Amino acid sequence: MSEPITRRRILIDYRIRAAKCLGCGRVYFPPKSFCNIEGRKSRMREVDHFYEQGTLLSGNVIRGPTKKFAYLKSFLSGIIHFQNDNLKVPGRITDYVPPPEEIDVTEFIGKAVVPRFRKIYTDGASGLIYYSSLNFSFEDDYYPFQEYKPVKSASSSSPSSKRGDKGKPGIVGYGVYLPKFRIKNAPPGALGVLERTLPFADEDTTTFAVEAGKRALIHSAIDGARVKKCFIGSESAPYAVNPSMSTVSQVLELGEKYEGGFFSGGVDAQFACKAATDLFIDAAALVAYPTFGGEYVMVIGADNSQAAAGDPLDYTVGAGGTAFIFGNRKEEVIATLDCYVPYTSDTPDFYRRDGEKYPQHGGRFTGIPAYYKHVGTAMRAALKLCGLAPGDIQYVANHAPNAKFPYQVAKEEGFSREQIEPGLVVKYIGNLYSGSCPTALAAVLDIAKPGDKILMTSYGSGAGSDAYLFTVTDEIERRREKLIPVKEQIENPHRQYVDYSTYRRWKESS
Amino acid sequence: MKSTKKLKPIAAIVGAGRTKFGELWYKNPEELLTEAGIKAMESVDYGLRRKDIQACYFGSFLYQVTNKLALLPGYMARELGMNIPMSNTEAACGSGGSALYNACHGIRAGVYDVVLVGGFEKMTDRSEKILDDLMFAGDSHEFDAGYTFAGLYASMMARYIHDYGDADGGVKCREALAFVTCKNHHHAIGNKYAQFRRDFTVDDVLNSPLVADPIRMLHCSPVSDGAVALVVVSPEVARKYTDTPIYVVGSQQATDDVSISSRESLTGIKATRLATEQVLKRTNMTMRDIQIAEVHDCFTIEETFFLEDSGFCKKGEGWKIIHDSYESFKGSKSKHIPYVNGDKEMVVNPGGGLKADGHPVGATGVRQVYECFKQLRTEAGENQVDKEGLNVALSHNIGGTGGIATVHILMKE
Repeated sequence: MSEPITRRRILIDYRIRAAKCLGCGRVYFPPKSFCNIEGRKSRMREVDHFYEQGTLLSGNVIRGPTKKFAYLKSFLSGIIHFQNDNLKVPGRITDYVPPPEEIDVTEFIGKAVVPRFRKIYTDGASGLIYYSSLNFSFEDDYYPFQEYKPVKSASSSSPSSKRGDKGKPGIVGYGVYLPKFRIKNAPPGALGVLERTLPFADEDTTTFAVEAGKRALIHSAIDGARVKKCFIGSESAPYAVNPSMSTVSQVLELGEKYEGGFFSGGVDAQFACKAATDLFIDAAALVAYPTFGGEYVMVIGADNSQAAAGDPLDYTVGAGGTAFIFGNRKEEVIATLDCYVPYTSDTPDFYRRDGEKYPQHGGRFTGIPAYYKHVGTAMRAALKLCGLAPGDIQYVANHAPNAKFPYQVAKEEGFSREQIEPGLVVKYIGNLYSGSCPTALAAVLDIAKPGDKILMTSYGSGAGSDAYLFTVTDEIERRREKLIPVKEQIENPHRQYVDYSTYRRWKESS
Repeated sequence: MKSTKKLKPIAAIVGAGRTKFGELWYKNPEELLTEAGIKAMESVDYGLRRKDIQACYFGSFLYQVTNKLALLPGYMARELGMNIPMSNTEAACGSGGSALYNACHGIRAGVYDVVLVGGFEKMTDRSEKILDDLMFAGDSHEFDAGYTFAGLYASMMARYIHDYGDADGGVKCREALAFVTCKNHHHAIGNKYAQFRRDFTVDDVLNSPLVADPIRMLHCSPVSDGAVALVVVSPEVARKYTDTPIYVVGSQQATDDVSISSRESLTGIKATRLATEQVLKRTNMTMRDIQIAEVHDCFTIEETFFLEDSGFCKKGEGWKIIHDSYESFKGSKSKHIPYVNGDKEMVVNPGGGLKADGHPVGATGVRQVYECFKQLRTEAGENQVDKEGLNVALSHNIGGTGGIATVHILMKE
């Protein structure tokens, strides 16, 4: 596909956009300007099916794919039926690996499926990467269907008080995306990492970011049109130049819509594993800043964490992402951001040169002079700034390159196992790099009670740490039903384990 | 018996030629087309000179991609040494049938009296990418869903088995869809031009490699090279060239959405239904009158759909007709296995169909008519259908998964 064709397809494929005749109700995909039945009388309206559930009308297992799909080897493709609009579209079933022997496809007919934003293929190593939401996973598989019921955007003429009083900025919603597939560390080791998430062959950091952002919107029930800024922190963005953020904004329709684009902005950020957390304070500051003119900011930390085969990192890296939405409406904030301490030094413990595929690191130098020094310093400074002692904090959520470092640093700062353990999800998902600390924070928020204080401290090689203190509000309880908790994802009975060669193959294709 | 005396023929075929189908590594596409064209001209009983040809109608799907050439008329003007109007029709696998359709209507309009119709394809020059290329005839969203052509038909086949198959997991229905392969390969044994001339058993089909579950390799037509040509003339001048012209009494075409997902049904081809309805209406016939049919069996499910879409049998009963007909044939030494439904009896794909004769896509629609022409003139040699009073044949050519269907009815007298 050329670049112009790609842009036209994006407008349709990212949201499964169709045209609906307001007269007779017929729906056309791809969209068209008139109804075959109503003709010149047609009045057509755009409809999209991004948040809907469909069923498999029929399908087949592709055993000999086209060149573009050779990377998937074999997979299930089908015709998907969205009952609400009686719309049928072609789609690929993702996260499903067919067995080598024939399967009776007729048994899949009628199964419920949910759209997933995934990569479809690429134009070689240097061409465009194509994404679409016309990929589906079975609803009774790993990912449940979640209904999205956003509170509609208030008109600009509405008095501010009707949309709720402003208060201290903080988190209004979050979403965690952990892929279905896992690899076990056998024998268990790698500094306490027992198993790790990995991307399916059609996933990458951008798809993680979209799925995490989608879940954050569902959790917060915020209309994407009201999110005016989106930051993505990652060190494995699929493009060196071309932001993941614009893809996320296009898919999730962040900002007020205008001629195929959106009145919103944002940026992809890079600071090793703290690229996302560094921007929490910016997000909180923006929503409180009148000139910003927006209500919400989304910050996503996502990575398909990179490691060369055989490197010690290859036994700790995971994949996934977490999105937070920041706002300052009192009745929406679930955790206020109360304290922020950044600490930075030029410490080259882990790096990746431009054009290189995998990072290099300083081995044991990444420990005491790098991770421990920065995380410990930021934690101490935050406690001091807030006038708090470790005993005043209910949970800590630290960046976790493995299960040992975050535990040991917190212990050294005076925290107990009970305060540390809930955020230590690295044991089951691996190191999500930029997504690591945000996911640990999400895991803690999943169980935190109103009034609880959470000390989150990130770490990014190169090097720096951000310590944040959050206080949980009463609002958190009201929003729990729209969550897919981290623990639930970790323990999902449909998670699927793969061997090392599959892990490497899928990780390489992402 | 039906007679052309009560019908006004649209055109007449007075000559036909073809190449063998298969892996023709040593010929360029224009050379294949020339070989078929010259053979067609030389086959005309009372002779035909190149200067008698007033126009050429070609059908090809992929030559621009497979052979990196365009402006076919320029190539063919050089090859044939003619400077007459020429055009190429692209309608995917339906290109050949569409070229003939256009030629018939050129003649019917009174513009021409003598034209050459040629279909060709050169697929093996790009074997490694042909799966991708063929998907040009699918909707781009189907391609992006990972579909191949076999996959698209497999989705239709799965739904057909689900909706209409026997209760026992569709076992008999699946057998019937394998029988189509067995029958068409059996028919091709006497066809000296066919790509495959050997019998297959049901077990062979059901144990062949999986291509797109439930479709296996032996449910599929092959990748082929080949060309076919016909000399098509106005009925008024036909006797000038032969005493046994074969008349085109019906020529109809219908279209439908390129994507199977947007169609009314996954278990039939609307364009086939519409084109067949219209051609039968125009000729005042029913499927009872059709004695042989060259049907587009790119995958065996497609032949099954034709039996239902054409009205030869009711919806959902095609596989039963196939099953019963094949079962009753077992042990017989007959060269051809007819489908029987009550008082209707029809030999489908006497030349082996796309399945065994081969499927150089742009050539197929013309090849089907070539076969009907030879059968009706009793010139099919070892492959001749042994039926007294053979007079009416039908050819059915579709493009893609049914985005276009062209149906012709041919009669001897």
